[in-house]
Amino acid sequence: MNVRQALITAANPRQRSLPLQILIDRDGVPRSALEIVLQEAAGAGIERFCVVVCPGDENAYTAACGPYRAQTEFAVQAEPRGYGDAILCGRAQIGADPFLHLVGDHIHLSDATASCARQLLDVAATEKTSVSAVQPTHESQLTSFGAVGGKLLGGDLPLYEIEAVLEKPTPTLAEQELLVPGMRAGYYLCFFGLHVLDQQIFESLEAERSKAPDQLLGLSAALHQLAGQRRYLALNIAGRRYDIGGHYGLLHAQLALSLGGKDRDQVMTQIIELLGQNPR
Amino acid sequence: MATLIDIIRSQEAAIRDQSVDQWCQDRSIAELQTAAAELESYRHEETNLYQRVRALFFLHTLHRYHLPQRPELPSAGRVPYPAFQHMLDRRFEEAIGTLRKAEQDHGANDTLCSALAAAYHALAFQTLANQVRRTVRSTRGNAWMFRLGHPQDQPLKVRPELLPPADATQPTPSLVERTAVRMDLTHCAWSDIFFLGMDYPEGARVLNVSINLGVHERDTATRPPVEAYFRVISEPVLRLASVDLETSVTISDLEEVFDFGRDYLGLLKAAIIAAGIVPPGIERSGASLPDLLGRIFGKGRGFELISNVNGIPKGSRLAVSTNLLGALIAVGMRATGQVAHLNGPLTEADRRIVAARAILGEWLGGSGGGWQDSGGIWPGIKLIEGAPSQPGDAEHGVSRGRLLPQHTLLGPDRISPAARKKLQDSLVLVHGGMAQNVGPILEMVTEKYLLRCAAEWTARGTTVATLEAILEHLAAGDIKALGAALTANFTGPLQQIIPWVSNRYTERLIAEVRAEFGDAFWGFWMLGGMSGGGMGFIFDPARKAEGQARLRQIMLRAKRELEASLPFAMDPVVYDFTINEDGSSAQLLTDQAALLPPAYYRQIIPQLLRKAPRELTSREQQDLTQFTRTAKTDPKLAASLPQLLDDLLPNVLGTSAPGQDLDGLLTANGFDRAQHEEIRHHLKEGHIGLAMNRLSPTTDIADLEPSDLFDLAQNGADHRAAGEAALARGELAVVTYAAGVGSRWTQGAGCVKGLHPFAKFEGRHRSFIDVHLAKTRQASRRWGHAIPHVFTTSYLTHQPTEAYLRREFPDDFGRTVHLSPGRSIGLRLVPTVRDLQFAWKETAQQKLDEQQEKMRDSVRGALTNWARSAGEASDYTDNLPGQCLHPVGHWFEIPNLIKNGTLRELLQLQPNLRTLMVHNIDTLGATADPAMLGWFNASDAALGWEAITKRIEDHGGGFARINGRVRIIEGLALPREEDEFRLSYYNANTCWVDIDQLLHTFGLTRADLDHQEGINEAIRSVAARMPTYVTLKEVKKRWGHGQEDVFPVAQFEKLWGDMTTLTGVPHAFALVPRHRGQQLKDQAQLDGWQRDGSAAHVAGLCDWR
Repeated sequence: MNVRQALITAANPRQRSLPLQILIDRDGVPRSALEIVLQEAAGAGIERFCVVVCPGDENAYTAACGPYRAQTEFAVQAEPRGYGDAILCGRAQIGADPFLHLVGDHIHLSDATASCARQLLDVAATEKTSVSAVQPTHESQLTSFGAVGGKLLGGDLPLYEIEAVLEKPTPTLAEQELLVPGMRAGYYLCFFGLHVLDQQIFESLEAERSKAPDQLLGLSAALHQLAGQRRYLALNIAGRRYDIGGHYGLLHAQLALSLGGKDRDQVMTQIIELLGQNPR
Repeated sequence: MATLIDIIRSQEAAIRDQSVDQWCQDRSIAELQTAAAELESYRHEETNLYQRVRALFFLHTLHRYHLPQRPELPSAGRVPYPAFQHMLDRRFEEAIGTLRKAEQDHGANDTLCSALAAAYHALAFQTLANQVRRTVRSTRGNAWMFRLGHPQDQPLKVRPELLPPADATQPTPSLVERTAVRMDLTHCAWSDIFFLGMDYPEGARVLNVSINLGVHERDTATRPPVEAYFRVISEPVLRLASVDLETSVTISDLEEVFDFGRDYLGLLKAAIIAAGIVPPGIERSGASLPDLLGRIFGKGRGFELISNVNGIPKGSRLAVSTNLLGALIAVGMRATGQVAHLNGPLTEADRRIVAARAILGEWLGGSGGGWQDSGGIWPGIKLIEGAPSQPGDAEHGVSRGRLLPQHTLLGPDRISPAARKKLQDSLVLVHGGMAQNVGPILEMVTEKYLLRCAAEWTARGTTVATLEAILEHLAAGDIKALGAALTANFTGPLQQIIPWVSNRYTERLIAEVRAEFGDAFWGFWMLGGMSGGGMGFIFDPARKAEGQARLRQIMLRAKRELEASLPFAMDPVVYDFTINEDGSSAQLLTDQAALLPPAYYRQIIPQLLRKAPRELTSREQQDLTQFTRTAKTDPKLAASLPQLLDDLLPNVLGTSAPGQDLDGLLTANGFDRAQHEEIRHHLKEGHIGLAMNRLSPTTDIADLEPSDLFDLAQNGADHRAAGEAALARGELAVVTYAAGVGSRWTQGAGCVKGLHPFAKFEGRHRSFIDVHLAKTRQASRRWGHAIPHVFTTSYLTHQPTEAYLRREFPDDFGRTVHLSPGRSIGLRLVPTVRDLQFAWKETAQQKLDEQQEKMRDSVRGALTNWARSAGEASDYTDNLPGQCLHPVGHWFEIPNLIKNGTLRELLQLQPNLRTLMVHNIDTLGATADPAMLGWFNASDAALGWEAITKRIEDHGGGFARINGRVRIIEGLALPREEDEFRLSYYNANTCWVDIDQLLHTFGLTRADLDHQEGINEAIRSVAARMPTYVTLKEVKKRWGHGQEDVFPVAQFEKLWGDMTTLTGVPHAFALVPRHRGQQLKDQAQLDGWQRDGSAAHVAGLCDWR
C-alpha cells in the first residue's frame, strides 16, 4: 500500500482555531499546530495534503500551513454534520488512492526513531490493508475516544486484527464488546488520531449516512462496518498523542514538545522556578 | 464398588448421581471413618470447585447422619473452645483442623462429630457463596466498577437530555423505568438457585412470565408493579426516596451510600452502586461524594432516585424486590449512557447486563434471589435455562454452568395469544398473608442436590420432565391440564424434595376450594420458595370471578383461625394480573409531563408546606409549583389532596395509641408496677444486666463424671417394671411448658409455638401440642391408666391454646387435658446501650460474610441510636401490646400449678398422683417412660433431671459441678464463654417432680393447697432465693405492606433449672438418649430432624387414633 496523500480534519466549529495555535517545536522553532501535523505526515513521505475546514477558514489555514502551503488543498465542510461527514468532504480530493488520516487537533510524538506516522505507514505497506494507530488507554478516559476490540496477531509488532469499533463507549459496554486478550485489566485500545484508510471508508460512511441521514455522522460506526467486511488492523504505536483541544491540552502538548527537544533544560528550569514561587 | 471420591469425580451419570446415604447404609464405623479421612485429604487436593464442595457435603453427611448412628461411637465428648471460636469467626478450615486434632488426641465421639458436621456444612456454603460472588465481580460489564477508586477515574457522564433546563423555572426532565414482576409457571424445584444452575445447567429450566398486577377490587387496571424515577438536581447530593416505604434520605457522604442497614433504602443504595454511579471500588477511598457526582452530572449537581411499588406486599413470591432493583439499576444505567435508549424497552444485551448488575446489587445488599428473579425485565413468556460455560467465560474451568442463564422469548408462534388469554382467564393469583424466611429451604435444596439423596434426586428429574408437559399444555391452551400438572408438581416432587414447602394453611385452602368448586377448580400452583405467601389457584374460566371473590373470604377465615399458630404478616390479598409484553421499559418525561408519582408528592408536600417559603430550594419550589398546577387538571394528583391534608395533621387524625390496650392487658394479668420500677432502677444503675447474670470468675466449675448420672440406656431395664406398675396405678401426670411464642422458631413473629403445625404425621400437619397429646394417649393406652396432661400457658398463649384444645380435643379437654394459666407478667424495656454492647461485643457472635457483616454493623448502629433516643430502660410500648409483654421464665410455671389450683384439681381427679414429668414444648421425644419413672421413684429425690450428651448446637449451659456440687448451670450465668465447652452434658429441661417433696420444699402439704394466702407467701419466699436473669429478646414490629423490623428488648426471667441450687432438696440426674432429650428450636433443624430418624422415632411414640 503506497500512501502519498493525507486527509486532515480541522472543521470542528467549536475548535476551529486550535490548529492555528502557535507551539514551539522540538527544535525550538515556533510553528502552528497545523504545520506540526503536516510536518509529521511529510516526514513520513506524504506529498499531498487535504485539510477539511469550516467555511471561511481557508485563508487562515493557508497561512498556518508554513512550508507545506503549495502541497495543501482545502475541502470545506459546509455544515457541522459530524466527524465522518468531514472525512466524506475530502473524498473528491483524495480520489481512489489510500490515504493517511490525521486529526488537526492532535500532536503526535514518537518514542521510537521512526515518527508515529511512519510507523503506521510501514505497517500499511507491509500488510497491504487499512490500519489505525491505537494506544492502551485507561478506562476512565474511554468516553473521550473511539476504541477497538480484537486479537493480537503475533509477530514482532504489537499489531491487532480489529473485530469491533465503538465510539466513546462506557466501560460497561467496552468490557463486553471490546475484549483484547493480553491487555492489562482496565485498559482498552483507543484511537490515536492516525489512520491509513482507503476509499472503502467512504463507501462505509455513505452507507452509515443512508441509515440516518438527519443525524451527525461519526467515523467509528463506519470503521466497525469496515472491520466486519475485511481485514482491518490496529497498531499499538510507539509514541504519544496530545489532544490540544482537551483541558490544558495545548499546555500539555507544548510541555511534551519542549521536554523532548533541545530546550528541555531551559523549560525544566522555568518549571522548577514556578514551582518554587508557588509552593501550594 | 465405587468409593465416595469416585462418585464425586466420575463423568458417568450412573456413578456420579449415586446417593451417599445408600453408599453408607451397610458400612461399618471403621469404613466410614476411612472414607471420611480420604475425603478430607481429597478435598484439599481437588482444584475443581464443585467437586470440592461436594466432598464437603459428603463429609457433612458422614458426620451428621451416618457416624452418629453407629452404636460403637462414644456419645460424650467436648468441643475444643478454639474450634467454636473459629466457627463463629467463619474460619471453618481452622475449626476443622482443631476438631480433627481433638479427634486424633481423644478419639471420635458424637460431640466432635456434630461439630465437624456443622463446620463442613458451613464451609461448603461459604465456598459456594464466595464462588458466586467472584463470578459476579468478574462478569464482563461489572468488573470495571471494582477497579474504580477515585472520582477522577469515573468515566460515566449523564445524558444531556436529563440536565436541568437553563431556565430554572422550567421543570427538570425525569426518567421513569416501569418494570414487570415475574411468576414462575413451572416451579422449577428451585433449580434457579445459582449453585444449582452453575453445576447442573441442563437441569436448570423455568417457564417465567412477566406480569402486570393490580389488587383485586382496589385497582381499576393492572400495571407494571414497580417503577423507578431518576432526576438530576442542582445540589451535590443523592436524594433517595421510597414511596411505598414512605421514607427518604439525602446523602452527601460517600460512605453513607455503602451503609445499607442505616435506613430502609438499602435497595436503592445497592442499585446506585450496581449501576456504577457510585462504583463499589470507591468504597472506603475517602473520596468526596460531591466530587464524584460532579464528574458525572457537572459541578454542584446530584440526582434523585425514587422507587415506587404498586402496593405489593412483601413475601408475594413474585420477585418484587429483585425486579425493583433491576428497574432502579436500569434507570441509572440509561441516565449514564450505559444503556443506549432513554425511551422504550431494553435490548437483549441491555437486559442481560441489567440482570447481571441486579445479581451484583443483591450480593451488595446481603440478600439473594434466584437467577430467574430478574425475569420481569424481559417481556412476556420466556424459557430460562442454565447455560454450559464456554471457553472465554469467567466461569469456564470453574463451574459447569454460567452464572447468568439463557433467556428464550416464547413469542406468539410458540404460545398463541389465545393460549395467553386462556391462562389469564383461569389463574387467580393471591398473597396468602404468610411471610416466611425461605433461606433455610434454599440451603436444604442445595445440600440434597449435591448429595443426590435418592428420592429427592428422582423428584428433581420429575420436575425437569414436568416443565416439558407444562410447556406443551400452555402452548396448546389446555389450562385444565396445566392446572393438573402444577398440582401434581406441588403434591409430588416438590414436597418430596422439601416437605416443609407446604403447611396446614395451604392445604386447608386447597381442600376448601376443591370442596366448593369441585371440577371447576383446575389446580394449585406454589410460587417461589414455599407456600403460604404468593400462590396461584386455577379455575374454570366460567367461575374465575367467583373464585377471586370466594378465595379472599376463604383465606381470611382460615387466617383468623390459624394466625395464632402460623406466622402471618398481613391479611390475604387477591390480585388481578395481565401478561406484560414489554418487560422493563422507560420513558423520558419532559416539560409539564415531568411528574413524579402522586404518592411521592403526598410524601414530600406536607414537609415543604411546613417550611417558610424562603427556606425552599429551587427544586422544592418547582415541585410545589408543578404539583399545584397539575393537581388542577390531573385527577390522580387531585385525588391525593385529601390524604395530603390528613398527613399535614397526623396527630389530630391519627389512631389511638397502642398503650391503652397495653395498660388493659397489664392490669388484667396482674402486672406488678412497683417491682417493675425497681427492676428499671437497678437496670439503669447497672446493678443488674447481662454482665451481672454471670457467676464470679473464681467459681470452681468442673464437668460431671459418668458416675454422676443414671444411664437410662444402660440401666433403664432395672426400673421398668416398677415404673409400669406406677403408671398403671395412675401416679404420673405430664406437664408441658407452652407459655412461649417461639422467638427463635418463628423469628419473633409472635405465634404460639405449641400450636405451630410444624410437620406431617400420618399425612396431616400436626402441632407440638398434637404430638405431645398423641404420645400421652399411647402411654395411657399402653399402661392402662389415663395420664393427665397439663399445658402451662401465658397471657400470650392461653386464649389460642384453650380455643384450640376445645376445638380439636373436645372430649379430653377438662378431663385429661388441662391448662395452667400463667399468673406472672413482665413489661419489656428498651435495652440499655451497655447491655446491647455486652451482647454484641462480649458474647460470642457468629461472624457473617463480609456484606452481611456490614449490614449487621450498620443495623446495630441504628439500634443503638434507637435505644438512646427511645430512652434506655424505658418501657417498650411501641408495638402491638402482645409484643410488649413478656413471660417471666419457666420457674414460675411449676409454682403456678400450685397457685392457680391446677395441682389441686389434678389431685382431686386422680388422688394416686405422685409424680409430674415436666418438659419443654419442643422436647418431642419426652414421653412417660416407665423406666425413667421407676428410676425416679427409686431415687427418693424431690426433683429428677434429664441430661443428654452435648452436640455443637446445644448452647446455654448444662450440668456441672459448681464448687463441688452437681447442678444445672445456665449459659448466661457461666463466668466465661469457654466454661460451657468444658461441660459434656446438656440440660434437656425435662424434670421429674415428686409432688409431696416439692410441696415440702415450698413449706406446704397437700392439705395447704386450699389456702391461697399461704401459697402466695410460700412461693414468694422460694422465688426470692432464685437468681433473676436479664436477657435480650428479639421482637418483630410489623408495618406497611408486610414490612418487618426486629428490635432487641430487655426482659427478665427465673429458670426452673436453678432449683438445683437449693440445698436441702434431694436431686437425681439421668443421662437419656438423644432422641428423647433433644429440642427443636429452629425450623432450619427440621430437615435434619427428619433425616436422622428423630421424626420416625417420635412418630413411633404417638397414637393418633
